[in-house]
Amino acid sequence: MNCIALLGQPNSGKSTIFNQLTGSRQHVGNWPGKTVEKKDGTYTYKNTKYTVVDLPGSYGLSGNSDEEIITERFIKSGEADLVCVLVDSSQLERSMYMLADFAAMDVPAILILNMMDVAKGQGKTVDAGLISQRLGIPVLPFTAAEGKGYEELKSLIEAELKNPHRLLTRPDVTAKASAENGNAKFEWVDGILDGAANAGKMQFKLSKFDRVLLKPFWGKVVTVGIILVGFLAAMLIMSPFMSAASMLPKLIGPPIANALSALHVHPWLVSVFSLLLPNTLYFCISMSAFVFGVNVVFGFLEEIGFLARASYQFDGALSKLGLQGKAVAPILMGMGCTIGGASGTRVLDSWGQKMLTMMVVWAVPCASIWSIIPVISGMFFPVWGTALVCIGIIAYIFILMFVVSKIFGKKLVPEETRSGMIMELPPFHKAHWKYVFKEAWIKCFDMFKRALKTVTLVSVIFWAFSFSPSGNIESSLLYKVGTFIEPVTKFFGMGWRTFMAFISAAFAKEAVLGTLNAVFAGQSTVADVAFNASAGGVDATVLSQAMTQAISGAEALAFMFACTFSVPCLMALSTTYKESHSFAWTAKTAAFYIGAALVLSCIVYHIALPFWG
Amino acid sequence: MKLSEMRAGTSGTVRSLGTDERFLSRITSIGLTEQANFQVVKNDRKMPVLVYVRETLLALNRKDCDKIEVSEVGA
Repeated sequence: MNCIALLGQPNSGKSTIFNQLTGSRQHVGNWPGKTVEKKDGTYTYKNTKYTVVDLPGSYGLSGNSDEEIITERFIKSGEADLVCVLVDSSQLERSMYMLADFAAMDVPAILILNMMDVAKGQGKTVDAGLISQRLGIPVLPFTAAEGKGYEELKSLIEAELKNPHRLLTRPDVTAKASAENGNAKFEWVDGILDGAANAGKMQFKLSKFDRVLLKPFWGKVVTVGIILVGFLAAMLIMSPFMSAASMLPKLIGPPIANALSALHVHPWLVSVFSLLLPNTLYFCISMSAFVFGVNVVFGFLEEIGFLARASYQFDGALSKLGLQGKAVAPILMGMGCTIGGASGTRVLDSWGQKMLTMMVVWAVPCASIWSIIPVISGMFFPVWGTALVCIGIIAYIFILMFVVSKIFGKKLVPEETRSGMIMELPPFHKAHWKYVFKEAWIKCFDMFKRALKTVTLVSVIFWAFSFSPSGNIESSLLYKVGTFIEPVTKFFGMGWRTFMAFISAAFAKEAVLGTLNAVFAGQSTVADVAFNASAGGVDATVLSQAMTQAISGAEALAFMFACTFSVPCLMALSTTYKESHSFAWTAKTAAFYIGAALVLSCIVYHIALPFWG
Repeated sequence: MKLSEMRAGTSGTVRSLGTDERFLSRITSIGLTEQANFQVVKNDRKMPVLVYVRETLLALNRKDCDKIEVSEVGA
């Protein structure tokens, strides 16, 4: 059946090899009965199909976490015909620990010495032949991220499946975990490596950059500064795609409309095909471009070793939320795009950590929110007032993160499994650009496919609700439902108009201004603007007049808070489901955020009422 | 002395890693074992301790470093 399994510590380049081998022929699910992600994929070599199982990332096989238990059980089951053990050649002795743990299981294996390029850069040499001789299994020097050498790997796998090898030697250990066992394993490793690999330097000196980056206060300032520059870079990367996509509705909309009208198609359908679909396409493309940009930047920062430093900096703060330093990357990504943040949680060690991080990421307002809050606030409040609104929002982020971690933290990351940061800071090294772009592209394309399906469906529903035969909003279903439930929404501080915009904010933040424009100024129908990713068609002065006449400052304030801290967007929801594989937890997250946003709106409204009623 | 008390720039040997099995296997798997020699690279207040061991720079949680008994070598 040709099944091979990949085993290695986090940072050993396991997922790189998995992605390069299987490309898009991957299947992601859960291991039976556990909330641990199971990734498998296939590739074909010389007309034979091979299945690759990416075993959960763990540091060893001592059965201390669900990940380790599953990995051990899977290898023991013999389901895999061959196990590829991956180690980091630049830190050979340390990462060979995984092989020492693995040696307890008597199954066919090969050893892949990954990151040979980094090792070479450090002046290290490794005698793969000698190691292979001592171990009794093939040893392959490799640089996974370069994208070369895969033919050799595939042919080695082919040969080994026909004529498998098993380890000839294993460390002398007892069954129970103990300090002696740890020593015995490393003694075994040292014996294997003796004379086969030259040891690195004994003294370590921080580089100049590290000395700044790791300072307790200034290091944090520099870290945040670099992330902000990163976001600017992300904008640059995506802006050509976005502006190209923005021309789509105008470019293909009218010809479609003309063609369909000429065929005497019902006007209802004409507007679906000429307005709704081009706009949906535009929206999906620009959203994917956003995800692409954020992933390129963060992929780069991860590759060079920067994110590990950021984790060190923020470990203390995050441990208060029950999270570990590694969660800093997704949270920072969330400042740009919640979708990127949610998919960035893959770096976390366990499912519970991952889910909790996603829930916390939802509390971080993404970049689109900051493009609408000043506009709305500016209509009602002076500049200093808008500044206060922004400060209030930022302050509330921390409160919300804290509340989320208090409510869900214990369940997702039980106290006894909470461990302090134990993490390696890899040396700074050059990024493999090709790999960074490829990974970002895979994420972006996956997002685009999902977006096209979900957004089209939802925008059709939204469109149907807001369709008005007379063109007047008051004859739409939206108006009828909205005004019917208004007594309830009023209690939470929002009238039917702001409430409709609140709902559209849960689909896409980009839709908020457009929706406001439709429900207040009646300049265009909701359908036209709801999924149009730009506020370009909104005349701010007209909207401002209409809004300030129709609602109070207190309601505007309540609305701004509610829409900032509600469900970030439809695709963030979809990505959370995709990453967590848990419908229940995704639903719980969404329900919590909608509920919390309404409560927040209610509180803000009633506090603000005496001042700006 | 405890690992958390060591000054940056000094070197030491691990004496004891404590008895918590989970912690023990976790810290061993990343390269810190009893009798291992290491160098303290950075030790700032309230921050994880940076330790260089087995060619690897490790960031270790402060509280965990309180549990690790070490002795200083060649100060």
